[in-house]
Amino acid sequence: MGKWSDGVFECWNNAFKPQYSIIPSLQRFLSWSLLIWVVYLLTITLFALTGGDLAPYDPTAQQVLARLLPPFSSSSRGFHWLGTDQLGRDLLSNMLAGARLTLFIGLVSNVIGMAIGVSLGMLAGYYGGAVDRFVMRLSEAQTAMPMFLVAIFFLTVLGPKVLNVVIILPTLIWPAFARLVRAETLRLRSALFVEAAVATGATDWTVLWSNILPNMAPRIAVLAVIELGHVMLAEAGLSFLGVGVQPPSTTWGLLIARGRAYLAVAWWLAIMPGIMLGLTVLALNMLSRRFAATSGSAA
Amino acid sequence: MNHSSLSAFLLARLRDGLLVLLLITLVIFVLGHMIGDPAALMAPVDASEQEIARLRRQLGLDRPFTEQFATYFGSLLRGDFGQSLWQDRPALTVVLEALPATVLLTLVGLVFAGLGGSLLGVLAGARPESALDRCANFLSITALSVPNFWLGLLLIVIFAVQLGALPTSGFTSWQSLILPASALAIIHGARVFQLVRSATFEEMTKPYALVARSKGLPERLILWKHILRNTAVTMLTTIGWEYVRMMGGAAFAIEVVFAWPGIGQLMIHAASRQDFPVLQAAVIIAGAFVIVTNGIVDLLYRYLDSRIRAA
Repeated sequence: MGKWSDGVFECWNNAFKPQYSIIPSLQRFLSWSLLIWVVYLLTITLFALTGGDLAPYDPTAQQVLARLLPPFSSSSRGFHWLGTDQLGRDLLSNMLAGARLTLFIGLVSNVIGMAIGVSLGMLAGYYGGAVDRFVMRLSEAQTAMPMFLVAIFFLTVLGPKVLNVVIILPTLIWPAFARLVRAETLRLRSALFVEAAVATGATDWTVLWSNILPNMAPRIAVLAVIELGHVMLAEAGLSFLGVGVQPPSTTWGLLIARGRAYLAVAWWLAIMPGIMLGLTVLALNMLSRRFAATSGSAA
Repeated sequence: MNHSSLSAFLLARLRDGLLVLLLITLVIFVLGHMIGDPAALMAPVDASEQEIARLRRQLGLDRPFTEQFATYFGSLLRGDFGQSLWQDRPALTVVLEALPATVLLTLVGLVFAGLGGSLLGVLAGARPESALDRCANFLSITALSVPNFWLGLLLIVIFAVQLGALPTSGFTSWQSLILPASALAIIHGARVFQLVRSATFEEMTKPYALVARSKGLPERLILWKHILRNTAVTMLTTIGWEYVRMMGGAAFAIEVVFAWPGIGQLMIHAASRQDFPVLQAAVIIAGAFVIVTNGIVDLLYRYLDSRIRAA
């Protein structure tokens, strides 16, 4: 068994090497369209990492004479690709600056949810018995609860802070990880190489960490990509409803909420950030489908 | 399914449902009473420490946790969800008044999501990789990638602001229903489409379809009679699950976008006014809806599935 990252790399390589080719040109088209999505995601990530430093204008700079300019118009400052808002701030720069917090919340919540789900799922699948029953009951009960409403309640009581958003979002996604990982662990536990590892005296920890986990890493990766999209949509929803991230912080969901008041006079303020968010989630969905199709996982 | 196993199943479902409801109230109670401080929230802004302490004693907040929860749960069972701080009426009444509007909107949205998603799903699944399949598949993935409230705003911009054709907010005539119900139908129909499509595709490759085809039955008959009967279970359970999703919060953001006078809008108003009794009542009532729908879907699934296996 190699390092756990080997599985991810193998899955990644397969994703860019279509195995089923009907027509060669179709095969090329698929890879190219996938490449476009990957480039889009990398661009958004780059803007998120630099925090809007690469944006055309200072996202907070106001300009009284250039309020509510439509997309593709110019002001004394220059060209505004996506127009300006009610205070004359450049919309594109604001969206690129908002990428940082949007992606940060999505990734952190996703990693926390994944860590909880994977650990509990492995424990449940490996030890079975009471641990298994407890974990599965918990995840069933949570799936049956209207968690989005509980999240609204939670954030109203504890205050709409980024920290609280990052605390509540993982609770929406961990059951999906736990169910997948439990089923995979059950399957792998009876595999020959696991029995061999146990026979040579490997501890439970070693078996779980270096034998079982690497073998299901590709499937966890597929699910993580899907769930990242879900978490980002949930954050946007909470921020839109006013119980998530608060101004002056910026996320795409918050930009949509802010643009809503100007829907009749400046549609681009609410619509454009939604397109950027939608494209990001769409790119993640496309990527996960390609992963799933090539690694033979049905996640 | 014989009678004893059915009643055992019903009892088990009922028990699980009540347990989940108990869990919801426990979570709400812990959040509201243990982490938050109801006395500080209810007291006037300029109240002194002593006044807050007296209020805390009056509300019984100095009692042990289990005793407080028992009192709380007991009053919930009697239908007492407390008084709305903002409207000064019983919280349960406020929520139940908003319920019919939410049920109307979600049911209309669900009917169109179910019909549209199933029809397209069967057609696309019957001809995989056809133009229809590719288009519908891409559109449904796109619909599932955008926030539903954003889709609502987009519909407002196109049909109300630009075309000036339809009302955008409130509930004044049946026309007000069109846009919010369409937004719900598109998003939830997209997921119904995905699942029905893959179910149809799977059935098409099974031996009985091959036999029917080799007998010379017309393709249309195979699809709409034999295949449809086998995908019906997937269809109905998927549609049921979508209703759970709607009542679990998806429909609520749509209500806020269209100022629809249902539970979702009520919840957000209550949240912005820190009206916890109404917020609690709304979460618990919506939770009860989710649990009951879950139970019905399960029951339906078992009933249909056993009938198909027996046939």
